[in-house]
Amino acid sequence: MIVMRSAAAVRAAAAGLLTAALLLAPWTARAADAPGITHYALDPAKSSLEFTFMQAGAANKGHFKRFQVAFDFSAENLAASKLDVTIEMNSSDTGDQERDDTLKGADLFAVTKFPQAHFAASQINRTASGYEAVGKLTIRGVTRDASVPFSFRTVTENGAAVGYMSGKTSVRRLDYGVGQGDWKATDQVGNEVAVSFALRLIAH
Amino acid sequence: MAVRNTEHRWGAAAQLFHWLIVVLIIVQVTLATLADDLPPSARKLALLARHKSVGITILMLVILRLLWRSLNLTPLLPDTLKPYERFLARFTHAALYVLLFAMPLSGWMMSSARGFPVSWFGLFTLPDLVPKNKSLYEALLTTHETLAWVLAAVVTLHVAAALKHHFMLRDNVLRRMLPFTTTPGPKA
Repeated sequence: MIVMRSAAAVRAAAAGLLTAALLLAPWTARAADAPGITHYALDPAKSSLEFTFMQAGAANKGHFKRFQVAFDFSAENLAASKLDVTIEMNSSDTGDQERDDTLKGADLFAVTKFPQAHFAASQINRTASGYEAVGKLTIRGVTRDASVPFSFRTVTENGAAVGYMSGKTSVRRLDYGVGQGDWKATDQVGNEVAVSFALRLIAH
Repeated sequence: MAVRNTEHRWGAAAQLFHWLIVVLIIVQVTLATLADDLPPSARKLALLARHKSVGITILMLVILRLLWRSLNLTPLLPDTLKPYERFLARFTHAALYVLLFAMPLSGWMMSSARGFPVSWFGLFTLPDLVPKNKSLYEALLTTHETLAWVLAAVVTLHVAAALKHHFMLRDNVLRRMLPFTTTPGPKA
């Protein structure tokens, strides 16, 4: 009897909590959001993050196969907009196994020690040609100020809000210690690495 | 020494082409051998980049050399040669020219197939000759290495013949390709 009553009480309490949670959910979500902000998440299949580097005097390309993007954005509320990108360094692909292995090694990306690169921008500014994300870029454990210009447009596709973000920037690899020992030399592998991205972001 | 060839002597331009290419081939063998022993590293990259640049230089020189050859007399082979020797001499020289094209071209194609564009001393990038393809790269690597050994064999034959002409036949065949020598007319 006691057991039965107790079980019923637990069920009732659980139902009560669930109801409360459901009722509160939209309210808490709204409370966390600044007005007008839309959350965007990455559509990995239709997004690319590429890098171009000079190797032995010629331009060579690579890309990252895995990265995450969280973009909170409102053109009317840039103060509350922010961008967060995490890159899985182990997913770098330059189309050459030997080169990829070398790139992931201790003297370059050092993926075992520094598996991720991270860009966190809490400041989004309007520029003449679009926007720029100003924040901190961390590669190989080194964090530096970085600003990434980008363009952003939203469209409605099959009733869903979709954002397209693209841009290019450049990173001096040695600023982040990408290149130890012999790889510090820039005659064979250039210091300047061009990074370009074209992302499809889905509003949530 | 005249710039142009005569019937009995290679001119300064032909000699310059010949000896410049000799020196560059020695550089090529040295760079390739040094790079071969290294694991993937910045130094290996640097050696191979130079190997490619020098290879393209040789290709350019060979094109110029053949153009120059076509605009000039070719010194005659000594009359003393037997028909088979005459054939062997022509064959060896033709093989050397073919290899001087085939070596850099197979190297260039190999680089393209690997997906590594070739730059000439960082000054300009050459177009890719073939699309990126792993099995094609491996086939071209084998081709390039095999051709290197074929070149070594033909060069050996070429040098042996030159020395035979000089020390055994005592004609002017070697001397007429050497600067700072005088060549009398055909061997008496």
